[in-house]
Amino acid sequence: MKRIALVLVILISIVGCESRKVVTPTRERPTVNIPLSLRQSNWRGSEGEGSCVHAAMISLFRWQGRANTAERWLRTYGGGEWPDDMASKLNRDGIRFASCENGDVKFLEWACRTRRGCGITIMGGAHMVTLVHLDAKWAAILDNNRVGQFIWIPRETLIAEWQASFGWAITPVYSPAAPLP
Amino acid sequence: MNKLLLCLLCAVAVFAVAAPCLADTVNGVLAEEQVINLPQDSAKWYVSVVGIADDSRYLEVLGWFNTNPNLAKLKKQVHFCRVTSDQPIYSERYEPNVKGLPTVRVQDGSGVVIYESAGKNIPMTARSLYSAIASSVRISRGLLPVLPWRRDMEKRCPGPCPKPTPEPGPNVDPEPAPIDDGGAPALEEPAGALTAAAIIAIALACVIVGSGVGLAVQWKRTYAK
Repeated sequence: MKRIALVLVILISIVGCESRKVVTPTRERPTVNIPLSLRQSNWRGSEGEGSCVHAAMISLFRWQGRANTAERWLRTYGGGEWPDDMASKLNRDGIRFASCENGDVKFLEWACRTRRGCGITIMGGAHMVTLVHLDAKWAAILDNNRVGQFIWIPRETLIAEWQASFGWAITPVYSPAAPLP
Repeated sequence: MNKLLLCLLCAVAVFAVAAPCLADTVNGVLAEEQVINLPQDSAKWYVSVVGIADDSRYLEVLGWFNTNPNLAKLKKQVHFCRVTSDQPIYSERYEPNVKGLPTVRVQDGSGVVIYESAGKNIPMTARSLYSAIASSVRISRGLLPVLPWRRDMEKRCPGPCPKPTPEPGPNVDPEPAPIDDGGAPALEEPAGALTAAAIIAIALACVIVGSGVGLAVQWKRTYAK
């Protein structure tokens, strides 16, 4: 009996145990939690127009690990933008991007589900902000005119506003920042 | 006259073929296509390599993800985040939670840390690092762990270290990861790790050999007299 016990003790000590400590992180809200220092404020372009589309894209470039692209974009472009002009600029610079101009909510859901975020038009198409969260009830935007805080809006309100503003959304397609552990 | 017309036609034909090719390159940059098929990669894992920009150890570890075939393959399957301590994102999202520099952190799509090592705890060789990551991934999936005495075999017998590859200049973003729908990375079985099947096979072999020996001994005791 003693021998069996001894053999068991030896076997247990050889095999050892390994337990996995799983610490489930708290889900970040908003999903695209762009740090304050990465947020780009709007600025006046050479013709006096705001540069909201560029500001939204620059914040997303930084969030998606393209800091140098963001700085180059900031130095090169500014002023008001339309979808076609923006697409041609992005293509010219060899930038990977996805966009939507038909108000398809699936695009917004994809952008937030993959943690990339996207620029969306509001105010009848006169302004672009960054969509940083979209769940079943709520949406959050980052307004480049007031980058200090995220603005939370009911999901349906945001979608209605976006669809009434040409339904244009655009985002770079690179790797988003890793989630907080 | 006919020859002239023929030459003109040929020139037009050549231009028609060449024009679309030239249109793709503007300012020397090959234009990328707009992404039509959106990557459904919300479950894709993250690998963060964090360190001081000019630290040789950081550059060495970073270089492993280019020189070691297994780590290079892993890099292509995940969101690879190269972070240096001089970047704003470091102070906001890494400084409060890293244990030292450099740090290698592997997270699943929901942010659960699957593997993390920092400073002197980072394995000495690329092979060991891959082995450690693969072990952690296996454990996270509930597979059998590598026996303790089999762990870090490479660490105990270090080979020549690969030289870190030169990093691109400071004003160029790193090569972007390919677009795919990848979820959890598929990892090769590292050398020195026993698979679940191998452990079961060894256990079965032990049972069979033990039973055989026991039967033989009992047979001798009973019938050899």
